[in-house]
Amino acid sequence: MAYSFPEEVLEHVFSFISSDKDRNAISLVCKSWYEIERWCRRKIFVGNCYAVSPRLVVRRFPEVRCVELKGKPHFADFSLVPDGWGGYVLPWIEAMAEAYPGLEELRMKRMVVTDEGLEMIAKSFKHFRVLVLSSCEGFSTDGLAAIAANCRDLRELDLRESDVDDLSGHWLSHFPENCTSLVSLNIACLGNEVSFSALERLVGQCPNLRTLRLNRTVPLDRLPNLLRHAPQLVELGTGAYSAELRPDVFSNLAGAFSTCKELKSLSGFWDVVPAYIPAIYPICSGLTSLNLSYATIQSPDLIKLISQCQSLQRLWVLDYIEDSGLHALATSCKDLQELRVFPSEPFGAEPNVSLTEQGLVAVSEGCPKLQSVLYFCRQMSNAALVAIARNRPNMTCFRLCIIEPQSPDYRTLQPLDVGFGAIVEHCKDLQRLSLSGLLTDRVFEYIGTHAKKLEMLSVAFAGESDLGLHHMLSGCESLRKLEIRDCPFGDKALLANAAKLETMRSLWMSSCSVTFGACKLLGQKLPRLNVEVIDERGPPDSRPDSCPVERLYIYRTVAGPRVDTPDFVWTMDEDSALSLS
Amino acid sequence: MELHLGLALPTDHTPLKGFDLNNHGFDPKEAVGLEPWSHGCCLESKDDYVKNKRSFDAAFEKIGDTKQTLPLFVWNGQPDEEDDPTGQNKETSYNINKNDGEGNHVVGWPPIKSWRRKLLHQHQGGQTENIPMVAKNERGGSNAMYVKVKMEGVAIGRKIDLRLYHSYKMLTNTLISMFIKHQKGDKDGTHYTLAYQDKEGDWLLAGDVPWQSFIKSVQRLEVLKTGG
Repeated sequence: MAYSFPEEVLEHVFSFISSDKDRNAISLVCKSWYEIERWCRRKIFVGNCYAVSPRLVVRRFPEVRCVELKGKPHFADFSLVPDGWGGYVLPWIEAMAEAYPGLEELRMKRMVVTDEGLEMIAKSFKHFRVLVLSSCEGFSTDGLAAIAANCRDLRELDLRESDVDDLSGHWLSHFPENCTSLVSLNIACLGNEVSFSALERLVGQCPNLRTLRLNRTVPLDRLPNLLRHAPQLVELGTGAYSAELRPDVFSNLAGAFSTCKELKSLSGFWDVVPAYIPAIYPICSGLTSLNLSYATIQSPDLIKLISQCQSLQRLWVLDYIEDSGLHALATSCKDLQELRVFPSEPFGAEPNVSLTEQGLVAVSEGCPKLQSVLYFCRQMSNAALVAIARNRPNMTCFRLCIIEPQSPDYRTLQPLDVGFGAIVEHCKDLQRLSLSGLLTDRVFEYIGTHAKKLEMLSVAFAGESDLGLHHMLSGCESLRKLEIRDCPFGDKALLANAAKLETMRSLWMSSCSVTFGACKLLGQKLPRLNVEVIDERGPPDSRPDSCPVERLYIYRTVAGPRVDTPDFVWTMDEDSALSLS
Repeated sequence: MELHLGLALPTDHTPLKGFDLNNHGFDPKEAVGLEPWSHGCCLESKDDYVKNKRSFDAAFEKIGDTKQTLPLFVWNGQPDEEDDPTGQNKETSYNINKNDGEGNHVVGWPPIKSWRRKLLHQHQGGQTENIPMVAKNERGGSNAMYVKVKMEGVAIGRKIDLRLYHSYKMLTNTLISMFIKHQKGDKDGTHYTLAYQDKEGDWLLAGDVPWQSFIKSVQRLEVLKTGG
């Protein structure tokens, strides 16, 4: 039957299928479906820019409009990947400039983006609409000026948590006089003052602006005016939230907020003066997302604020919230889905706030929709983890960081194996897990046995032997990304599960016990993997094969070894293994 | 079905009933490349389970004999003791990770994104700069002035914004009620004394200098019990 359909019909049917997974499945049905599908694929996601070459991508998918690329390993966020490792986007932009003149959207994460690259984007894609640079680096406000000046249809410019070389705040004035297309502008990561006149002009003349995230230099007294120009805003990141305490300033601000009836998301609040927080009370009941993770607000003020936000679904906050604030959250926010609690003083030896495992237990009890947690704290117990697991079997993301490595259950001094074991046993849909605290190989047995849907797992300072790694690799069927640091896992488990690596996107291991010899062997035997040894001590072949490597990054690829490795990265391919052995 | 028995830690150690691995049906086909393990493990005697490392190794041997898909472990003919990472390897790895920039902290731990880390430093840097400004304009100042407070015998310290207080009495009363929940002590302030560390690092009793001078020089606070 299927073969009697004309191509156009199939193409039309495929156009309703947006999930990448489903599109991939379609292209595996038969040669003709593969052909039809590849010609009508409009958006692609490349989870590792070295897993495939730009050349292969543009050859297979000639009509792409939206591209999402990811570069460095996740641990780069925590400075574990040396500067200069790679993740350069320029080769991609060059290939796309030639193949996709109609490209509209480009989203990048953890990539090195140069001004040259941004200029090429600005000039090559006539209908360019969306640029998202998430945790990217290597570019300056000059490159952004080129985007502003040339992309006439730009709807979204989102710099997320990028590290921008902030040369001048005037880049914003490069948006054309008649620019009306912006829907989303996020410049929160910029350090310098932006041109306020340009900012006010832009905000005033873009009637569809829904998201505006300002940086810290935008003073509070500018905010009311911006808000009055954009009452349609849905997401707002404030600038500095501090000013002299004056009744007229307060009422002006509160008045401006109350005109923004659509506001659902607030962030920013740098240098917050708590006395100004009540200015947002009028719109709190509509808020679904609140990011206070840059805001030094103490627990009593947070409690007052949170109790106004009864529709809240996502809360990011510093640990100033304390257990008392989390109890209040559990009482007032019944729709809460995501909670992130960040440490205010991660490097202090002693706790500066009263935030314990109890706060998280309370939220797990009180918020039935809670499914995503990132929680930094200084003490944890198996009992608390078991309670959380039983309260919230719907959890999909559970990331716990007990700040002191290898902290045991503070009440029993036992490892936290049983607690994390309960998490993986009860939370059947768990996709992401980060472990911390004192853990033996047993926790990995629990994980391998129960965490069948786990896709990303982060492990630090845990385990006792190869058995731990073996359990993870052999048991977690859905595992795509595994990142490990400072664990005594070595060659045996890695080599025995070598075939598993071809089913995963990547494996990162730093300060573990994998030897150079094992890396060579892996690279030699598994040509579809790039096995990268990252060692700043010099060439690994200058040390014995039995010497553990500093860092190891393994990923599957159809592109072969990359050509842009710096001098501290060695790819263990067949040739290098031969020449080194 | 027996597979997990072989790999498992001894079940008598298992503290939660839910974790008794015998209760979980296990289909070896579910796990990638695991099948050969089951043969190996089933042959192990009960005594071998106790030392899981041995059954683990035994499993390696078995795979080596049977399955060509996992050939890489054969290469590893070393005895366990040599390649097993004991303290030594671990120490080296910790040393590798020591960061000069942040004193004795391990690089990348706790796992906080570098931009957020930068922000924390800014906060801390900003604080000291702000102090003169706050002293000038203590009532309506836009900048908080946080100092750490500890109470003798209470493990958890606090940070308070001194800008919110205007007298020793107000500050002392607030601190005592803040910490009192940790103490069964008297709520009456007479049993506590407030000490502070000044800019020179000397510890002094609060109340000897005017409030204005006090908040200019105070770096941290401690509530002391007197004659308890």
